[in-house]
Amino acid sequence: MGDIQEAIDNPLDIDGSNFNADLYLENVMKRATLRQIMDKEAEIVTQSQFLQSEMQTLVYENYNKFISATDTVRKMRSDFRIMQEEMNKLSENINKITSFSAQISESLKESGNNVSRLCGTRQLLDKLQFLFLLPSQLNKAIIESRYADAVHDYTHAQRVLQKYGNQPSFQSIQTECSEIIYGLKKTLRDRLLSPETSASELAECVGLLRQLQETDSSLKDIFLSCAESRLDKHLQTLSGMVESTDILEWVEKCNQTLLADLGIIISCYHEMFQDKEDTNIPEFADKIMLQVFHLFEEVAKRPDNVGTEILIRGLDKFFRKLQAMTEIISSETMSNKATEIVIQCINNKATIQYQSIQTQFKESLMKVRLSLASKSTENTDLKDILNSLQVYLMQKVQASLLDLMAFLQNNLSFGLKSWCAKAVADTCWKVISETMANLSEMVKKMACLQTSNNNIPFELLLILAKLCLEMQENGVTTLHSHLLKLLEEAAPGLTIENKDTNSIMVNLSTAAQSALDSEVIFIGQTAAQMLRVSVLARDWLRAPEPRGPRAVCRRVVETLASADSAASQLFPTSVKPSSDSSRRTIWSRAPSSFSPINRIFSERIEVFSPAGADRAALSNGALKVALKALVECVRLRTFGRHGLQQLQVDVHFLQQRLSCMGNDERLLNALLEDALSSAQLRCVDPQLMEPSIVDIICERG
Amino acid sequence: MEEGNSIIYGLEHQTRALSPQYGESDAIRFLIGTQNLKPQANQVHVVELEEDTGALHTKVFKHEIGEIWHLRCSPHDVATLLTTHNAFDPNSSQCTMGVTIFKLPTVEVIPKDLDDLSAIQGRNAEDMELLKTITSEKPEEEIRCAEWHPTDPNRIGVVYEGSLRVHDVNTGAAVATTAPEGRARLKFTGGKWNPHQGHTQFAVLQDMHIKCYDTRADSNKPSWSIDNAHRQLARDLDFNPNRQFHLATAGDDAALNIWDYRNGKEPIFNRTDHSHWVWSVRYNSYHEQLLLTGSSDARALLTAAASVCRDLDDEAARLSQVLEDGVLQSYEQHEDSVYCAEWSAAEPWTFASLSYDARLVLSRVPRHFKYKILL
Repeated sequence: MGDIQEAIDNPLDIDGSNFNADLYLENVMKRATLRQIMDKEAEIVTQSQFLQSEMQTLVYENYNKFISATDTVRKMRSDFRIMQEEMNKLSENINKITSFSAQISESLKESGNNVSRLCGTRQLLDKLQFLFLLPSQLNKAIIESRYADAVHDYTHAQRVLQKYGNQPSFQSIQTECSEIIYGLKKTLRDRLLSPETSASELAECVGLLRQLQETDSSLKDIFLSCAESRLDKHLQTLSGMVESTDILEWVEKCNQTLLADLGIIISCYHEMFQDKEDTNIPEFADKIMLQVFHLFEEVAKRPDNVGTEILIRGLDKFFRKLQAMTEIISSETMSNKATEIVIQCINNKATIQYQSIQTQFKESLMKVRLSLASKSTENTDLKDILNSLQVYLMQKVQASLLDLMAFLQNNLSFGLKSWCAKAVADTCWKVISETMANLSEMVKKMACLQTSNNNIPFELLLILAKLCLEMQENGVTTLHSHLLKLLEEAAPGLTIENKDTNSIMVNLSTAAQSALDSEVIFIGQTAAQMLRVSVLARDWLRAPEPRGPRAVCRRVVETLASADSAASQLFPTSVKPSSDSSRRTIWSRAPSSFSPINRIFSERIEVFSPAGADRAALSNGALKVALKALVECVRLRTFGRHGLQQLQVDVHFLQQRLSCMGNDERLLNALLEDALSSAQLRCVDPQLMEPSIVDIICERG
Repeated sequence: MEEGNSIIYGLEHQTRALSPQYGESDAIRFLIGTQNLKPQANQVHVVELEEDTGALHTKVFKHEIGEIWHLRCSPHDVATLLTTHNAFDPNSSQCTMGVTIFKLPTVEVIPKDLDDLSAIQGRNAEDMELLKTITSEKPEEEIRCAEWHPTDPNRIGVVYEGSLRVHDVNTGAAVATTAPEGRARLKFTGGKWNPHQGHTQFAVLQDMHIKCYDTRADSNKPSWSIDNAHRQLARDLDFNPNRQFHLATAGDDAALNIWDYRNGKEPIFNRTDHSHWVWSVRYNSYHEQLLLTGSSDARALLTAAASVCRDLDDEAARLSQVLEDGVLQSYEQHEDSVYCAEWSAAEPWTFASLSYDARLVLSRVPRHFKYKILL
């Protein structure tokens, strides 16, 4: 590449553009021998001579071509002159033709006028003939029931007749025609009132009558009243069908008969009277539609039609027709009403959904209750029951949400409307919130019932409390996000407004609380009752020497333990404080310590207080109720020495066995201490047993 | 005694008997009985509140026949009182209960001069005059309480655990006996004369029920009853002093119920403000909408039940508007169970509550409630 470039730029290349003669010469002189220079010179001379001769040939050839071109131009100039002359001749001829044609049209003008006059006369004669034939034509048309033709003919002739009616020859025609037309009107009216006529025929009749110059208002009235009677008949058939057919069939029938007729009537009315300001028609339509809507609501409410699919299909058909109708009627109320009816259907559906959820849930709860009542606690896994109830509830709600989403299907006439989406979203939320509200209400009621009679197993209360809490923590949000997801799929960009999660949560938590409270009170009272009866029934004054804790203590411990284990399944407690002190035996305070000063340092114990949602708190609550009762009952009795010692053993036993429940050992000890010191106060011979002996007796028992 | 400040009086022994001096109409005086199993250790304290100064004066009397479970001052005579007592006899190792009528040597408590003062400061317990002791025919039978007949000073009603008897004060003999019917034989826990209906009815508490017997007939059938008045044991009752069919009951379900006993199915008023058993309930005898309850949650509560004290006349309607139903004030000066709470017989706004740890608390209805009721 470089070589080529060099070659081009080389000033020594004799054929190159940068050739420098002096350089070349110098170069040749420097390099070549004299002989070589001589040869080079000869070569260059021959080459330049050859180039010279070639140039001469080229010049000769081109000169010849130039000469021939000059000749051609000269020839063209002479030809153009001849053409100019011919053109002048042509324009002269054209002028002549113009003048001739003007002469011809002048001469033909007169005869043309004659012809047009003849034509006019001919037309007039035709009309006259039509007039004379009119009566017979009309009769013929009427006989053949071509009312429209008759009216058409008559209206044509009428103007003329009116104009020339005073001339005797026309007068007879006019009277004859009037009579015929009077008859026609009568037939038409008769037809109007006869029930067999269809809506289109009806419209036709009224149209004809109107052409026959009946006054508008009376016609309108007649028209509407006739239409109404016809529609009433449809309504009656439809209302008769409400009980016997399903919604699809009903809507089909309704669309085909009533709504179709109504459409025809209204469009005819508009066509005929063309009165935009008229208020009759919207009123009339509203009146009819109100009844239709009413019937539809009845149909939609019938139990056969609760199936979502069938309801939606029926509703869709109905709504489609209504939409088409609104264009014809152009009434605000009607389109509003149509929307309303869809929304109402959605609402009804939702109501049915959450009511059925409630009843089904109640039933399953009843089953759980029965199974709990029949089985013993150890064998039943409360967590399983809780899970199945929770899953059941969640699934039911989700299924009903999904069901409601069917209203948003794209192929439905109302499915893509924003108001519909909003209604569906609202009702879905309502399903969730109502279900939760129902749940809370039910749990509260059960908790209330529990305190008044003891039919409900306490495990169920625990389960329900836990269920409420679970719902409060996860359930509601899960359902909410599930709903959002469904909505996002069905109608993107839609949000749920005015959702009141807060009150739902509050409801749920209060329900859970009341269930827990009720459970605690129940367990506590059961144990308290045992203790009370046993303390009050025994003769403590002459009790024998204690041989072991009394049987009632075991039963109390069992009762509390079973509740504790049930609670532990559902309300796992956090880390249990180490219980080094659980082996600590309480030794009663001396009676002298039973003074206000001692109590100032201990906290006030609220016995019936709200229970926490925690195994330990639940057990604490039940313990408090039971042991406080023990204290109070002990104070009502008088103890002998052995009685006191028996109680000492009992208290020790309770302390040993109960310290593993609950987490507030101070509370347990305070109450037991209270019981023992109260017994000491009420003892005629207060001598406690040796702690070691108490230990032995307890272990032996 | 200023607003909200209560006066506290402490005793040495446990107490569960308190009574206002019903016959007294000037001085605010309460009697307390102690409960101690040690022989010769029990006393009756007379406590008088000097209204002007707020000073508390006491006088102590010996009660040597046993511990006092229940004490009632006579409405007929200021100096007479009635105790239900229990004593342990180490020889037979048996407890014997009885009802005894005492007469105080003097009702004056506030010292008149220095001599008096020194005598009281000496704190020598004085003797009471024992008028009559009534004991059960069956020595083991427990006596719950004894109540003075509202009008007849010679009659007292005694509630035994298994029967109700009306005794003649002078002879000690039972003039009427009623035993509970039915197989269950639920024990009586207390009772009261009905101040209406011609003073012939005595209402007793039997487990969860209230039964009212006519003392003129030895019938075992109650003339009226409220079954299941409480969900647990019923502990106390008090008749509305003004409305003849209303009574308030309290029980182990921590509830305060007011009943129209003509329809004993549902209480007409129900509150559960205590957090443990309620042992005592009292109507204020001047203002029936005020109720006082004492409970083993160591509280005394002042409750308004204005809605059930509504009358057709304007006066009561106005009253019911000013007070809202519910707790007006909670008195928390006690450290132990409050078994007794009583209104003063002489002054409508003062009351006393007594807890097991021998603490008497004298309190007042808060002034703004008082003004609301009065104005």
